[in-house]
Amino acid sequence: MRYHGPPKIFHAFFRWYCKPSVLQNIEGDLLEIYHERVKTLGRNKANLKFIIQVLQLFRPTIIRPFRFTSHITSMSMYKNYLKTAWRNLIKNKAFSAINISGLSLGLTCSILIGLWVYDEMNVDAFHADIDRIFIITSVEYSGTEVAGSYDTPGLLGEELPKVLPEVEFACSYAWTGYHTFGFGEKKMKLPGNFAGVDFFKIFSYPLIEGTKDNALKTPESIVISRKMANNFFGSPEAALDKTLRFETYKDLKVTGVFEDLGDNVSDKFEYLISWQLNVERNPWMKDWSNSGPTTFLKIRKGASPRALESKLKTFLKNYDKDYSEMERLELGIQPFSEHYLHSNFKGGVLSGGRIEYVNLFKIVAIFILVIACVNFMNLSTARAVKRAKEIGVRKSIGALRLTLMSQFTIEAFLFTSLAVFLALSMITLLLPSFNLLTGKNIESPLSALSFWIRISLLTFFTGMLAGSYPAVVLSSFKPAAVLKTGLKLSASSGAFRKGLVIFQFALAMILIVGMIVIARQVDFIQNTNLGYQKNNLIFVSISGDMASKFETFKDEALHINGITDITKTDQRPIDVENSTASVEWEGKDPSSKPTFTQMAIGYDFIKTLQADLKAGRDFSRDFNDSANFIINETALKTIGYEDPIGMPLEFWHVKGKIVGVMKDFHFASLHVPIRPLVLRRGRDEMWGWVLIRIEPGKTNDVVPALETLHNKYSPNVPFAYQFADEEYGALYQSEQVVKKLSRYFAGLAIFISCMGLLGLVIFTSEQRSKEVSIRKVLGANVSQIITLLSRDFMRLVLIATVISFPVDYYVMQQWLGGFQYHIDIEWWMFAIAGSGAIAIALVTVIVQAIKAAIANPVNNLKTE
Amino acid sequence: MKKYQLGEFEEIVMLTICILYQQAYGVSIKNEIEARLSRDVSMGALHSALIRLEEKNYIKSVDGDTSEGREGRPRRYFEITSLGQRALEHTKKSREQLWNAIPKIAMKTKFSGL
Repeated sequence: MRYHGPPKIFHAFFRWYCKPSVLQNIEGDLLEIYHERVKTLGRNKANLKFIIQVLQLFRPTIIRPFRFTSHITSMSMYKNYLKTAWRNLIKNKAFSAINISGLSLGLTCSILIGLWVYDEMNVDAFHADIDRIFIITSVEYSGTEVAGSYDTPGLLGEELPKVLPEVEFACSYAWTGYHTFGFGEKKMKLPGNFAGVDFFKIFSYPLIEGTKDNALKTPESIVISRKMANNFFGSPEAALDKTLRFETYKDLKVTGVFEDLGDNVSDKFEYLISWQLNVERNPWMKDWSNSGPTTFLKIRKGASPRALESKLKTFLKNYDKDYSEMERLELGIQPFSEHYLHSNFKGGVLSGGRIEYVNLFKIVAIFILVIACVNFMNLSTARAVKRAKEIGVRKSIGALRLTLMSQFTIEAFLFTSLAVFLALSMITLLLPSFNLLTGKNIESPLSALSFWIRISLLTFFTGMLAGSYPAVVLSSFKPAAVLKTGLKLSASSGAFRKGLVIFQFALAMILIVGMIVIARQVDFIQNTNLGYQKNNLIFVSISGDMASKFETFKDEALHINGITDITKTDQRPIDVENSTASVEWEGKDPSSKPTFTQMAIGYDFIKTLQADLKAGRDFSRDFNDSANFIINETALKTIGYEDPIGMPLEFWHVKGKIVGVMKDFHFASLHVPIRPLVLRRGRDEMWGWVLIRIEPGKTNDVVPALETLHNKYSPNVPFAYQFADEEYGALYQSEQVVKKLSRYFAGLAIFISCMGLLGLVIFTSEQRSKEVSIRKVLGANVSQIITLLSRDFMRLVLIATVISFPVDYYVMQQWLGGFQYHIDIEWWMFAIAGSGAIAIALVTVIVQAIKAAIANPVNNLKTE
Repeated sequence: MKKYQLGEFEEIVMLTICILYQQAYGVSIKNEIEARLSRDVSMGALHSALIRLEEKNYIKSVDGDTSEGREGRPRRYFEITSLGQRALEHTKKSREQLWNAIPKIAMKTKFSGL
């Protein structure tokens, strides 16, 4: 049978919203009219009118009340919760102060770390198609050795889009380096790079002038930043099509101006020069078997990175004539979004990078927040004794356990919100110094909606964490027992509280030991014997006539009072990176092709560096050393000669012999082991750096004289110099930041923990004031009472110290494992951390215990 | 003094309830108003007026018989209370008072203007 009623959905809707008291009667009216209308107007019209009527009836007087308004008492109950919470807060000022300030300190720290982490995660995230941008990785297999890097052949950028359908754009990219530019009288030395034609199509750096298509098309084109355009030409508009003199020999046309790069860019450059010019300057890049530049690419929409990856793996087989199973470069891709945080290779596989610090800090943030929350939990449950009666009364007049739990959770939220408010004010104050400390430029996040969403989440999470345990414990009291005899906290809740204290102090201890180890390791990096003297050594980059007339330059420089030695190199000795496998010697296993780091040096290299020679001699003008080599001890081990001096060595197909063996010195990061090194006698036109050894304390005299001399040989290039020790330190910038930050974190952690301890001691001594007074009356002396009050706490701290050590040891061993050269974790580090923490805790406890012990017993006993 | 609060539509509904004496329920009130005053009455407006009036104790209601069209739902008959009656009278009186206070000349000019 057909259904004859009104539209079902609307009928049901009406039944859902209508007040039960009038439902029957109105529904009846509706149906009566509906059936009448079906007869007179027809079903369709009747249905339509029915719908209209249902909608017209949807008004406040007819809609049934929602649940929360139906119980008129609820709202006032919540008001009462807030009122009680507020009164408690005011009544126990010391507790509340400890609670809220501890929590807000923890929150401040966590939010600051959060901001830092967020900033780190967002580097490079602004590129429009970031999910389609990739960077090429390469894994070099040579014999048994495997090494990963971003070094790719310089021809790859142009070749990829031609042969692989997945690739929309690709471009090669060189190394950021300093170059000198001139326009009229103005000369400036600025950092920048060389990039392929499609660079601006891959990345979203906004162009103010010029077009993405033409920006880097011709070999003489250069694209400069707004700042550089302003400095040279006054404005970006004026810069377009102007000519800039590159170094001293080449005119470049400005074909575009890009917006100054922000802080969220991983690679900073003031200008980009056409890739063709780079290839012109470095002819070796025309060969597929040489690699060095980076390659970026953008895949087509919908293309699969997986498919591309498998094609790239053996891509070079058809290009590199030296390609063999033993000796090959396998290409891969890494999403560009991950490049900034994950850029270290270990055994050919990407493994970490800055992400390790991001993760480390995330853990620290959580630790500190948890420590602060534990304070809250502990103090709230301890204070419960005082509120037992309130809970008893609430329960006996009908409060359910759930409502009590919600009361205490609300209370926790109130405290947390206050703490968050305080924390936000502190962050506003601290942000400038935090930026200074971390070398970041984080803006105040208070105006960002996403920040508030996160803050609300954090407040919620913290409130739940801090409020959950007190809510469970406090709401579990039995009203009759509590009202009759007062509260006896169960042994288990006491144990839980002790557990929390132990947990809290263990976390603090981990941070303290971490701080000590990190500080020692960073000091180790700074002060370790590198095998040469890095103090009083300066680097000046070679330019102008300094290369061709180096010997006369050197003679004149040595006449400057304070300069003792001079040499030249093609790379700075703090980070030598050039390497080759083209080294042959007698008795070499033909199947192995070990890689040697190589460096070209001038005369007096060992003397200037104040490094040590193990055997043989340095290069000397008295011999023809053009085909002779000096190697380091590691290289000697690789080669395996017993008596190396005078033995043959073929390098880059030049047959020569070994004239000297240097003791190993650190010419690369301490993260990696010292590699085999071959030093060769560079030819006269080689370019790079002048290394100048200065007498201690003479720097201020030397620099002006050196500048005059520099300008005589190289008038077109501004004089700039670097101190070896500072440049070396800059290589470990992130370690330095971690060292500084870890000090604050550890201090904060122990401080917050002690605040919690202080609160607990105040509470216990208050609870036990009668006991203490009676003991005193019966003859106990002050020291006995102090021992009585502090013994339990000190035991907890001691336990915490002991259980934290294995965790510490493990975690720090992991961190140190990232350094090839590192300190050992020694027992005294634990001893210092442990005794330090115990001493601080002891002072906290005893000050309060003394106060309780010297109080006049009469005051506590006179009222009962 | 706002002794009796009564809106215009509420007044109409109450008067109609009086007219329909003992036969006043939702549909009949609606039909009666629509017939006499030739204006549309929406169910929403009518029932919310009825609920408000009942809350003010101007009318009272009782469930009665049903019919086939109502599918078993009882009719709810409305009846005026003495308080409601006083409210109506008060309203009527206030109106009259105002009418009486109008000077004849004022109305005349109005009509002459037509």
